[in-house]
Amino acid sequence: MAHAIAPVPGSTTMELALKIWRYNAETGAKELRRYEVEAPDWATLLDVLDIVKDKHDGTLAYRKSCRMMICGSCGMRMDGAAVLACKTRMWDIAQSGHEPVISPMGNLPVVKDLVVDMSPFWGKIRAVKPWLEPGYDEVAEKERIVSQQQMNVIHKEALCIMCGCCVSECNSMESDPEFLGPAALAKGFRFVGDARDQTAPERLSDLNSEHGIWDCTRCYFCNERCPKGVDPRDAIAKLGAESIKEGIDHDMGAKHAKWFVTSAKTTGWLRETELVPKTQGIVSAIKQTKFALGLAKRGKVPPPVPPHVADRVKESRALYNLVKEQGRDGALGIVQGEHALGRIEFTEEAGVRELAPELQPGVEPPHAEG
Amino acid sequence: MRRVAYYKGCLASLSAKELDTSTQALAPRVGLELIELESVTCCGAGDIHEAEPDYYLHLNARILAYAEATGADTLLTVCNVCTLNLRQANWQLKNDEALRERVSTNLQRVGVPPYNATVEVRHLLWEIAEGEGYELLKATAHRGLKGLRIAPFYGCQILRPSKILGFEDPDRPWSLERIIEACGGEAIDYPAKVKCCGFPIIQAREETALGELIQPIEQAKDAGADAIVTPCPLCHLSLDAWQSKLRAATGKDFRMPILHLSQLVGVAAGLEESELKFPLRHLLTIGGAVSGAAASRGPAPEPSSGVEL
Ligand code: SF4
Ligand code: SF4
Ligand code: SF4
Ligand code: SF4
Ligand code: FES
Repeated sequence: MAHAIAPVPGSTTMELALKIWRYNAETGAKELRRYEVEAPDWATLLDVLDIVKDKHDGTLAYRKSCRMMICGSCGMRMDGAAVLACKTRMWDIAQSGHEPVISPMGNLPVVKDLVVDMSPFWGKIRAVKPWLEPGYDEVAEKERIVSQQQMNVIHKEALCIMCGCCVSECNSMESDPEFLGPAALAKGFRFVGDARDQTAPERLSDLNSEHGIWDCTRCYFCNERCPKGVDPRDAIAKLGAESIKEGIDHDMGAKHAKWFVTSAKTTGWLRETELVPKTQGIVSAIKQTKFALGLAKRGKVPPPVPPHVADRVKESRALYNLVKEQGRDGALGIVQGEHALGRIEFTEEAGVRELAPELQPGVEPPHAEG
Repeated sequence: MRRVAYYKGCLASLSAKELDTSTQALAPRVGLELIELESVTCCGAGDIHEAEPDYYLHLNARILAYAEATGADTLLTVCNVCTLNLRQANWQLKNDEALRERVSTNLQRVGVPPYNATVEVRHLLWEIAEGEGYELLKATAHRGLKGLRIAPFYGCQILRPSKILGFEDPDRPWSLERIIEACGGEAIDYPAKVKCCGFPIIQAREETALGELIQPIEQAKDAGADAIVTPCPLCHLSLDAWQSKLRAATGKDFRMPILHLSQLVGVAAGLEESELKFPLRHLLTIGGAVSGAAASRGPAPEPSSGVEL
């Protein structure tokens, strides 16, 4: 980001160049084409694409509708990072002289240029039953009131505009295309956490399936990219916490998570030698033994006895019991901190800082190609 | 010498002791006096956050409280996951007085000091990538890496979510490169350096995880890296120990040495090998290259885990 002070909107124009990955699915032809445009100072990436299409190349394909960050149509990558084109102002980039590379979102098949096929995305959204199951169908005499407090639980997830920016960079989905993924799982929590919905246990057990919540590798790309502050990774953690609260813990991922809790309150430190048997079950644990022994030989795993016990570990056990009594189990434990996290200011301490002065790597950004 | 509270986390306490040893040896060279926290537990990784989030908050608050009780204003971490967990809890406690009140009261009820949210959580990487730590690093890295080609691997949770971590641009980070260069090495660039190594699901979803793990190792290898350096012992564990599984699954044998940040800097600073605790085979390449043999690179070493399955 450059530091030039933005002018009064509408007072001037800017010149900028950008490169766009052009792609034709029918022929398979792919080409990175460069465009130079003049645009108003307030122009977003979407405005710039409009200018390219109007004045330079009418064959360019991309999606748009609302132009105001609400329809979710204009997700694409700029320098490898998924953005909403209509939310991305170009002034700073134009001033820096950097020529951004525009490409289609990842993890979805490309149809043409910047247009991706969203059907896998919608399929996954549909799979989480994105509708309310209130347990009644008769029309009520009076309105059914839901408190603000109850709605706060799903406030963030309800902000999703289904643009796909999170899915674009999901590291687990790259490796397992069937993973339900961040958007669908955030949608899943939007209903699991809805006080009016009567089917949370069924929903949770569906979301605990093979390609469900425990497939998430916690890369946090989804939180980083989401233009609406949904924080899908946090929604997934809420689903995990709700599942465990409901006793849905058959998945190896859930067992793994629970084992950390046991470790923390018994020895204080993670008992790694026991982690494998706890999460994978006894048969695969035996298969793993050779591997684990190999690690142990090289000092990678502490020997099983005596367990390494943290000083004053009694405190962490007492803390556990106390916390359980206070009953903030499940998603609530995450929701309670959201207000505070929403108040993080982008000061020097929090928020992205500039590149080191002497180090401006001419790095081709991650996945800059379509 | 700046006094900082030092949180090792599980890995450096138990299975990755070499991380602790090398950090302790390096600290005074970069102006840090470490006050080791005695009474702390695991931060819970992402796991307690996902299983029992309220307990996660309290466990981390307890660590922060003991750090505050040392009188230091900084809690130093050497693990990405610890850094995110502790910073996330810290922001919650800093920005919500009512929540802090409740948590701090709970801490005191079980005999832990209160927490007044005066501590800042910072990773060793940040301490030596800028400011005084960086100046001292430059001065101390006199033995230099002599052109050794090092691939920086950041891992996820020191970059994202940037709202909570906030040290550098999560898409174009610079800190590891800057350190590698200050040590006389050449920083290799490759796209997967900011991606996930798959560690959190390496047991529950091995196949998916290996699909992630192979990317940084393969790309670093293709880009001509002599070794990968990472600031996270969990990344280190999967990048290093799971290479044998990667070989079994793909037939590709990368033999890529994986170094902890403190080991890499330690080599450049001329710390004793016993302080760095390299697995022997790493020592051969790294030590050999440093002492000028870089030009005549022999066959790559086995990963330290070289376990046959
Ligand atoms: S969670 Fe965010 S990034 Fe993902 S689809 Fe919804 S709005 Fe888009
Ligand atoms: S945190 Fe999980 S859901 Fe989000 S992008 Fe990463 S793997 Fe996907
Ligand atoms: S993140 Fe891992 S290594 Fe670090 S303290 Fe927590 S559990 Fe231990
Ligand atoms: S790369 Fe993997 S292990 Fe390393 S910090 Fe990211 S999630 Fe954790
Ligand atoms: S055009 Fe609707 S979100 Fe960008």
